[in-house]
Amino acid sequence: SWMSYIVCHYPPGRPRLTRCRSPEKETFTCWWETGSSGRLPTSHHLYYRKESSAEVFECPDYHSAGNNSCYFDKRHTLIWIIYNITVVASNALGKTYSDSVEVDVMDIVQPHPPENVTVSLIQAENNVYILVRWEPPRDADTRSGWVTIKYEIRIKLENSTENSNSWESYSAGKQLEFSIYSPQPGASYLIQVRCKLDQGQWSEWSSFAFIQIPDRTSDNAVMIF
Amino acid sequence: CMHGPTACHVPSLADLFDRVIQHSARMHSLSNDLHSEFEQYFLPSKNHIGKIYRKCHTSNILTPNGKENAQKLAREELTEVILKLLMAWRDPLFQLHESMAHQQDFNSFSSNKALKMGDMVHELRKGVEKIAEKMRVLGMLGNSIPALSSREAMLPVSESEEAMSDYELLYCFRRDSNKVQNYLKILKCRIIPEHDC
Repeated sequence: SWMSYIVCHYPPGRPRLTRCRSPEKETFTCWWETGSSGRLPTSHHLYYRKESSAEVFECPDYHSAGNNSCYFDKRHTLIWIIYNITVVASNALGKTYSDSVEVDVMDIVQPHPPENVTVSLIQAENNVYILVRWEPPRDADTRSGWVTIKYEIRIKLENSTENSNSWESYSAGKQLEFSIYSPQPGASYLIQVRCKLDQGQWSEWSSFAFIQIPDRTSDNAVMIF
Repeated sequence: CMHGPTACHVPSLADLFDRVIQHSARMHSLSNDLHSEFEQYFLPSKNHIGKIYRKCHTSNILTPNGKENAQKLAREELTEVILKLLMAWRDPLFQLHESMAHQQDFNSFSSNKALKMGDMVHELRKGVEKIAEKMRVLGMLGNSIPALSSREAMLPVSESEEAMSDYELLYCFRRDSNKVQNYLKILKCRIIPEHDC
């Protein structure tokens, strides 16, 4: 009966936009959390309005960035313009609107982490060092001047305690390689790299690169001078 | 050059570009700092942004809003956009400084940032004009930049009906200084792609 329908079912809970991110200042994605379903089938739609226009558009792509997300491709992405974004949850009993969020792509820049991080041990004369190399995230266009990329490296002894102080960090500027001198003989190190575009946020750290330093590497070194 | 040509370093176009790009990055980061100081003082709740409808006094300067649009513009046009933005900001930044200097809420450190930005925007404009002149001499730029010929033609920027609040002004400057920095980098990589691009 409709009585039980009213007692047991509700309009959907309020969805909440959780974050938006642009990895390269050319596209962006926003994610949301759903509220309670009201025990009825519920659908979610994202609507947006661009600064100084009253026209409302629906999300161009709900699929590319996974569940509860909206992906704005190049064609739908402008920078230095505010997007006013709202998510609407609907079921048979009604609609619930999220708080709207305003974003400018310039404020949500966070690149993907650097790729193909490799480390090698270089033995030069009586000098041993770790050479770390990496590649920029594949989607960042660093050639045209549209973004400027900066890197940071961190290294720690593999068996050091789980304590962030044991990381040593170095900034590498725009370079795609960095040398770390005087590794401890016999030690194993974990190394990661992250990057940042312009004044944006740091990427996540890359996956770990691992290196084992041989014991007493300098024993065979011949001192000439 | 007092000590002969060898003692004088004439900056190359690449040097000049690096200088203005660094300068614009510093200016933008100053505007970032001041903007967040403003937010801390006046807008403690994070959901304030929607309440303000911003119309920047520079909004009638047509600026490219994406990489491809920026790349499509001719060098002359891109240079002109940069100069127009810079020219539109000197006076408003000095007004911002005045207004902040009269408010108790700010320490002099904050209001001096506004003054500093006003100076920087002026220096930056001179730097970009120097670059434009150099590019013109090197035949990399046509003669058709109004900014270089008739400066007056560029000055009238929209006279807004009501004065923008300090916060709106700062918001707009933060955005415009980010544009300037980006357009300069695009222009540099277009003109000297072999130099660090």
